[in-house]
Amino acid sequence: MGVMRIGHASIKVMDMAVAVKHYENVIGMKVVHTDPNGNVYLKCWDEWDKYSLILSPSDRAGLNHVAYKVEHDADLDVLQQRIETYGSKTEMLPVATLPFVGRMLKFNLPSGHEMRLFQQKEVVGTDVGSTNPDPWPDGLKGAGAHWLDHCLLMCPLDPEKGINTVADNCKFMKEVLGFHLSEQAVVGPGGSIQIAAFLFCTTKPHDIAFVGAPTMGLHHVSFFLDSWADILKAGDVMAKNRVKIDVAPTRHGITRGETIYFFDPSGNRNETFAGLGYLAQPDRPVTTWTEDSIGRGIFYHHGEATESFTTVYT
Amino acid sequence: MSPSAHVPRSMSARTVSPCSVTLRQTGETYVCAAGETLLQGMLKLGRRGIPVGCVNGGCGVCKVKVMRGRCLKVGAVSRQHVTAEEEARGVTLACRAAPQTDVEVEVIGKMQRGFVNLIVGSGPAAG
Repeated sequence: MGVMRIGHASIKVMDMAVAVKHYENVIGMKVVHTDPNGNVYLKCWDEWDKYSLILSPSDRAGLNHVAYKVEHDADLDVLQQRIETYGSKTEMLPVATLPFVGRMLKFNLPSGHEMRLFQQKEVVGTDVGSTNPDPWPDGLKGAGAHWLDHCLLMCPLDPEKGINTVADNCKFMKEVLGFHLSEQAVVGPGGSIQIAAFLFCTTKPHDIAFVGAPTMGLHHVSFFLDSWADILKAGDVMAKNRVKIDVAPTRHGITRGETIYFFDPSGNRNETFAGLGYLAQPDRPVTTWTEDSIGRGIFYHHGEATESFTTVYT
Repeated sequence: MSPSAHVPRSMSARTVSPCSVTLRQTGETYVCAAGETLLQGMLKLGRRGIPVGCVNGGCGVCKVKVMRGRCLKVGAVSRQHVTAEEEARGVTLACRAAPQTDVEVEVIGKMQRGFVNLIVGSGPAAG
């Protein structure tokens, strides 16, 4: 029971037409629905639920909410009770608050980000189906991403004022939602300040990540690719489409993932992320990156984080 | 990853001649070719500290105030970073503004300290 995986992210975009083109032609998603308010819903080919991304028209960029899927409907009641007992307010949104989705449990993480949990979303199947499937479908566009993999949220951190919502979120995700910590980055005397936390509920190295920042925000939403070759092809796709690349193809020390960071047309950071990294298990010892090696943890080859990586987010 | 690709053609076609840009805090000057944004031109200074973020109007790190002269808005600017009131006073994002005349600009975004200190700060200028 409990949380299974990321379900969808709802993000704000400032020009819907160019945003849709980006997620179709660069990421390789397909539009599955547009609602009367102009929100556009998209899906990756290897996902079986109706959608994993909601683009929402706005005068700014950033995250509206991120949603995770639970295994059983009754999990929503159990988790609501746990979250309330922990001291956070919740709201059960009725069926069809979002199209094709059942009731949703809405609450805020200690960092302030809105999170939702749901159990029902219309199942439409992957693009190769479930009977004698081919390994990939014809007609894929762009990077041909398999699925929305994870998100990284920027969380208010001010050690001098005793504020560390990275640590607060980590504790909440572990103790209330049943996630496990796979890796962390620590700084300060004796490594006492947790400035980054990577947590999983599947068997991948992370399903959500938190990094300390002056203000709350979205660092990136990430889309899964199989391999390093797919990452390099995705880089070609970005160049062909004149996408602003933030960090060219490289490898993370943290999670061992292969990566490109780039921006959607509203400035929301995207990642194409390849490799399953390692088998994440509840009893796997937590990997810790110390202050002197955080650069290698973030970008393993180059060994240092660029300024834009830590200061630029929406 | 030439940022020039981010300027819509219909916008760039409207500007007719190169414009000179003066950075108030550092005294540096550079030229924006017709249709280039303030940020694309600034990159030609070829130094560290240029506040390059998403280059798409969303992240706000290239926030500037146009003190003198006129710019054309070439795309959406996030209201999270530039309020309507600020915009009315000449505040915008350098990635979304193409100069139409010679302009003088003050850099006020999140990366401003690094941008200015490299040139006029107390420490040695980093190469």
